[in-house]
Amino acid sequence: MVSRSRRMRSWPLYLFLLLCAAVTVFPLVNVLAVSLSSSRAIIAGEVGLWPVERNVAAYERLFRDGQLLVALKNTVVITLIGTLLHMVATTPAAYSLAKRRLRGRPLFTFMVLFSMLFGTGLIPLFLLVKQLHLINTFWAVWLPGLVSAYNLFVMKSFFEGMPPELEESAAMDGASDLTVFLRLTLPLSKAILAAISLFYAVALWNTYANALYFISKSELLPVTVKLYQMLQTPLDALLGGGDAALYIQPEGLKAAAIMITVAPILCVYPFLQKHFVKGVLIGSVKG
Amino acid sequence: MEKAAAHAQPGRRGKPVKRYAARRSGWLHHLIRDRYLYLFLVPALSYFFLFKFVTLYGELIAFKDFRLLQGVWGSTWVGLKHFRILLDSPDFWLVLRNTLLLNVYNLAVAFPAPILLAVLLSEVRLHMFKRVVQNMLYLPYFISWVVLGGIIVSLLSPSTGVVNHLLGLLGIEPIYFMTDSGWWPVVFSLSTVWQGAGWGTIIYMAAIAAIDPGLYEAARMDGASKLRQIWHITLPGIRGTIAILLVLQMGKMMDVGFEHVFNLQNPAVFSVSDVISTYVYRTGLQNAQYSLATAVGLFQGVIGLVLVLLVNKIVKKLGEGGLW
Repeated sequence: MVSRSRRMRSWPLYLFLLLCAAVTVFPLVNVLAVSLSSSRAIIAGEVGLWPVERNVAAYERLFRDGQLLVALKNTVVITLIGTLLHMVATTPAAYSLAKRRLRGRPLFTFMVLFSMLFGTGLIPLFLLVKQLHLINTFWAVWLPGLVSAYNLFVMKSFFEGMPPELEESAAMDGASDLTVFLRLTLPLSKAILAAISLFYAVALWNTYANALYFISKSELLPVTVKLYQMLQTPLDALLGGGDAALYIQPEGLKAAAIMITVAPILCVYPFLQKHFVKGVLIGSVKG
Repeated sequence: MEKAAAHAQPGRRGKPVKRYAARRSGWLHHLIRDRYLYLFLVPALSYFFLFKFVTLYGELIAFKDFRLLQGVWGSTWVGLKHFRILLDSPDFWLVLRNTLLLNVYNLAVAFPAPILLAVLLSEVRLHMFKRVVQNMLYLPYFISWVVLGGIIVSLLSPSTGVVNHLLGLLGIEPIYFMTDSGWWPVVFSLSTVWQGAGWGTIIYMAAIAAIDPGLYEAARMDGASKLRQIWHITLPGIRGTIAILLVLQMGKMMDVGFEHVFNLQNPAVFSVSDVISTYVYRTGLQNAQYSLATAVGLFQGVIGLVLVLLVNKIVKKLGEGGLW
C-alpha cells in the first residue's frame, strides 16, 4: 500500500520526463510530417505531428535529381572504409601502449596526450593536406582524424584491465605478440571494438568540417555538406529549375532532404544504442 | 618477463666497455623482442607526428607574410605584425567575446540540464519507461549539426515553422528567431541542451548508481522526503563528477563547436554568432588571409592549452587524480 501511494505521488516526475522526451523527438517528427505534406499545407503552417494532404512529391523530386543519392553513396563509402582505417590504426596502437614493458611508452603517450591538449590550427592543417595532395579526395576526410586520442585512451584502459595471466601463459608457449593480439586479445575485446567502431562510424557518417574544408568537387561531397548547400541555396537553382520545382515548396524539399540524410541513423539507432552507452561507461572509468 | 630479459644480457657482468655495449644491445634487444608492439604503433604514431607535430611547423606562418608560392620557409618574417593587426581589429575582439559568451551561456543553461535529467531519471522505477525515455533523449546526439540546424531553422521559420504557428494561435506576432540577434543566443543554448543533455546523463547516472543504497534506506527510516534525499544524498554523492565535468568544460572556453555555430549562423546575426572557428574559416580558407587566420588559430590554441593545463591542476587539487 505504501509503495503504491508513493508511486501515485510520483506522477509529476513521469509526466515531466515524458514531456522532455516528447520535446526532444518532436522536431524530427515535425520535419518528417512537413516532408510528406502538400505545399499548401506547409505555407499555411498547418503541419504539426502528422502529414497534411500526404504526398511524396518532394522525395520523388530529390531521387530523380540524384545529387543527394550520389552524396549518400559517398557517405557510405567514407563511413565503411573510414571506420576500417580508423580501427586498424587505433586498435593495435592501444594494445601496445597498454603494455608496461614497452620502452619509450611515456614518450608515445605524451605524443597522443599533446594532440589532445593543443588544437591544431585550421590553416596549418590545410597547408599540410594540400602538400600531401589530398585535396578533393576522401583521404582528406579520413587522415586528419585518423586516430582519436580519446578513443585510443579508452581502448588502452580496456586492454590494461584485461587479466595479464592469460597473455603471459600464451607467451610462455612461445606465441608472438602478433599471435597473442590476433588470437587471444581481439576475440576477448568484442564489446569495446564494437563500441569504438560505432563511435568512429557515427562520426564519419556525420563528417562535415573536413569535407567542407578540403573537398570542393560536387560529385565527391558527403551527404552532410550536400545537405548544407541545399539548405542554403534557393532550391530551384540547385535542382536546375524546371517546372516541377514550382509546385513543390522549398521547405518541403529541404525537409525531405533532411529526412533522407538522417534516415539511416534512425534505422540503426535502436539496435546500436546500448553499445554506445557501454563505450561511454568503459571510457569514464579512467579517461 | 624481466628475468628473461636479464638472462639474455650476459654482458652486464663484464667490464665497463662491455657494459656499454650491453646497454646498446639492451635497447636492440627490446626492439627485437617487442618488434610487433613497435610495428603496431607505426600507423598511429605516424599520424600524430604528421598531423599534430608537422603542422606545428605550419603555425610559423603566423609570424610571416605567407605566400603559397614561397612556401612556409620562403615567406618573409614579419614578427608579431599579424597579432598587432588582430589586437587593433574590432572583428577579433568581437569573435573573442562571442566565443566566451556562448560558452558562458552553455555553462549556465546546458551544463545543469543533464544533472537535473539524471537525478530525475534515477528516480524512475518503471524500467521499460526509463529505457524508452532514455532512448528518445539520447537520439539527437547522433545526428549531425547540419541536420539539427536544418530542423531548427525549419521549426522556427517565421512563415512556415510550427513554433510561430503556435505563437500565432496565442495572438503573438511571428518571431524571427534565427535572424534576431537577441533570440539567436537563446536558440543556440537551447540547441546545445537538445543535442547533448540526454547523452550527458549517462555519466551522471553511472555516478548515482554507485551511491550506497544504505544511505537512502537510513534517510527513509528517518522520514526524509524524496526531495530531501536528493538534496542530502544524491547531489553530494555526484559532487565529484559534477566538479570534474565543470572544470573540463571551463578548459574548453576558447572553443565553440564549429559545426554547431556554422550551421545555425547567418550574416544577419554575425554580431552575436561569429566565433573564433568560423572567423578562421572565413578569413583563412574563404578569403585566403592565411597568416592572419593562423595567428587567430594559434592564439586560440595556446590559450586553450594553458586553460587545460590549469584545469588539470585544479582537478588534481580536488583530489581526483588529475586527467593524466
